[in-house]
Amino acid sequence: MCDRLANTASLEKIRRKKQTMADKSDLKAELERKKQRLAEIREEKKRKEEERKKRDVRSQSETRKKSEAVPEDSDLDHKRRETEALLQSIGISPEPPLVPTHVSPPSKPGSVPSEVGRQDSTDGAVPGRTLHWDTDPSVLQLQSDPELGSRTQRLGPSKITQVDFQPRELVTYSKETQTPLAVLQSEDEDEDEEILEPAPQLVPEPREEEGKQEAKEAPPRELTEEEKQQMLHSDEFLIFFDCTIRVMERALAEDSDIFFDYSGRDLDDKEGDIQAGSNLSFNRLFYDEHWSRHRVVTCLDWSPQYPELMVASYNNNEGAPHDPDGVALVWNMKFKKTTPDYIFHCQSSVVSVGFARFHPNLVVGGTYSGQIVLWDNRSHRRTPAQRTPLSASAHTHPVYCVNVVGTQNANNLITVSTDGKMCSWSLDMLSQPQESMELVYNRSKPVAVTCMAFPASDVNNFVVGSEEGAVYTASRHGSKAGIGEMFEGHQGPVTGISCHNAVGPIDFSHLFVTSSFDWTVKLWNTKHNKPLYSFEDNADYVYDVMWSPVHPALFAAVDGMGRLDLWNLNSDTEVPAASVTMEGCPALNRVRWAPTGREVAVGDSEGRVWIYDVGELGFRRGAPAQWRDSQQSTSESGCSRSCLARWLCLMLRTGPASSARWRRSGPIGATLRRKQLRNWQDKGGHPHPTPPLHARQAGTRWPPHVSNPPVC
Amino acid sequence: MAEVEETLKRIQTQKGVQGIIIVTAEGIPIRSTLDNASTVQYAGLIQQLVMKARVTVREMDPQNDLTFLRIRSKKNEIMIAPDKDYFLIVIQNPTD
Repeated sequence: MCDRLANTASLEKIRRKKQTMADKSDLKAELERKKQRLAEIREEKKRKEEERKKRDVRSQSETRKKSEAVPEDSDLDHKRRETEALLQSIGISPEPPLVPTHVSPPSKPGSVPSEVGRQDSTDGAVPGRTLHWDTDPSVLQLQSDPELGSRTQRLGPSKITQVDFQPRELVTYSKETQTPLAVLQSEDEDEDEEILEPAPQLVPEPREEEGKQEAKEAPPRELTEEEKQQMLHSDEFLIFFDCTIRVMERALAEDSDIFFDYSGRDLDDKEGDIQAGSNLSFNRLFYDEHWSRHRVVTCLDWSPQYPELMVASYNNNEGAPHDPDGVALVWNMKFKKTTPDYIFHCQSSVVSVGFARFHPNLVVGGTYSGQIVLWDNRSHRRTPAQRTPLSASAHTHPVYCVNVVGTQNANNLITVSTDGKMCSWSLDMLSQPQESMELVYNRSKPVAVTCMAFPASDVNNFVVGSEEGAVYTASRHGSKAGIGEMFEGHQGPVTGISCHNAVGPIDFSHLFVTSSFDWTVKLWNTKHNKPLYSFEDNADYVYDVMWSPVHPALFAAVDGMGRLDLWNLNSDTEVPAASVTMEGCPALNRVRWAPTGREVAVGDSEGRVWIYDVGELGFRRGAPAQWRDSQQSTSESGCSRSCLARWLCLMLRTGPASSARWRRSGPIGATLRRKQLRNWQDKGGHPHPTPPLHARQAGTRWPPHVSNPPVC
Repeated sequence: MAEVEETLKRIQTQKGVQGIIIVTAEGIPIRSTLDNASTVQYAGLIQQLVMKARVTVREMDPQNDLTFLRIRSKKNEIMIAPDKDYFLIVIQNPTD
């Protein structure tokens, strides 16, 4: 049976091969040659076969066909007849099989060319040839049949059927999914008090879930791209990412190698080289490539709850119009990571910022447009959680002062804008101020407030500095609500004001210092309306000043030449106790002491926040002595420097042109001085940054009562 | 979404960071800076490990939960921040 099938199959193959043949005539000669060779080989084979047959009649032959052929001779004959009939019906002369499966090795090389020969031969099969073919005696018989052998082949084109079988797809499911399910199931079991109930459920459940898991695995892996994008845009993912990335960055920044081996290795530079004896040493720099670039640091504040957190606000970046105008970054001193912990945006430049003293999660910002914005670090959004309306009831001018005063239970946000309006807000509701007041002096002209300070533990009285150079005391409530007294002394807009707030045995809260564009820092007593003392060591606009929170006689001042000065009133009132100039001499816009009094943060006009460590100078050594000294030093009446001495000092420090400039004074003089300074710079004077010198007050709107405002 | 990309890019450029993978709780990576083969391998293996770690922590004290997992090996450090629905995996070479 299989014999016949094998025959048919082989014959089919033969037919196919023949059909693919193109040119018969060219190959005839070759064929003849091959045929002769084949005939010889076949004769040999047949002889061998017969010999073998005689030898191994009973024993098991190597080839199945041989064994079959022996007992089934009669059968074979019958089959042969049938196949002959089949072939004749098709019209093909019998040909030997193409693949002789059981040909003995020596005959194999011969069989291949014989196949070829057989393939190509169409006509000219020599009749009466006895063929020796091991594999298929039936075919051999056919071949030997003269009738069929002489028949010519009729060939014609026929279409080729091509069948493609795809590789069998092996679907496998990883067994990993079983493990977590088993774990989860065991967890549920633990939590469930009834152990019996889940137990029988467990068995079918894992299987079900496993099936589900397997089923689930197949679809997500197909939909992964879309599903991924969807997930990445989902809100929960953003929340997760926001929180986690902060933690991860801190972990990444910790580069302490716990495996460090001190023996047998080169010791790296040890960290923490304490510069013994120096008073002001550089600690670190906070700068963000994206958010700080080309922006001026407008305000700084340290967190009262977490002494390592600090917020810095920035004005707009003219080079990136699509980025938000107002940015506030919260920096962390504790970790070495160089990126901000929180990034907040808003639509208008932020000109003042502060942590809400009694609300640890809130950051308050005052903007250039007059809006007060409130950011919440609990939400993952960078935009403000609350903001005040832009209406006449609130502020419409830049808000340079924001301050939270009061106690835990009763606190208010006090904000003052440059049009003299002071508003008091509740942090829960910023839709309208609780109360508002116009700060007017002598009931005539509103005060253009640039800075404000509350003395320690006072919620009612405060002091403000104005653009005209006058300083005023004011109070929020009471019979004398509004502006009280005026203190005249400065000849340029007041840029910074700070009330003495060190807590100690002697109360110095009546003292405050102010800084101004007239290159001086002045010390005042609220009881006198003339300054107690004027510090004139600077050669440029002094942009900010602040008392140390711990040392009673120490304050810091920054100016437009990149200088940070620490003045110690107990030691010297003529020159600062410590002074350092920043790299590149940028204009320094803000200075803020850390609550510990050990560090000073300085913001410059290029978006950098410098943190300096204050060494022994800042420490409370022999506290009572310091306080006594302070008392002595502040009771001295004004300085006794002569004009000549002043001129000499200045000339030595800054250059010949400065003396001419010094002669002029007043706001107009300030303008002229500024212009000259710029000219001098252009001609190659000392290095000075190109950003506007009026860093904080860029584009200040002058109140209507100022008749000829200086032009920038 | 752009912020996420920006942040990932920034972390990727930090010194020593070899790769970042964000995986769902089932172990399917949704975002990675490594090649596909490593990502899938890490995701599968780490997901099992996190499950095991979480069970360990919970079993000792049911009120407790896993917050951060740091695996220090000879060649690198794998930091995993698991959450309810996602994990963030960062592979760093700290001695770089």
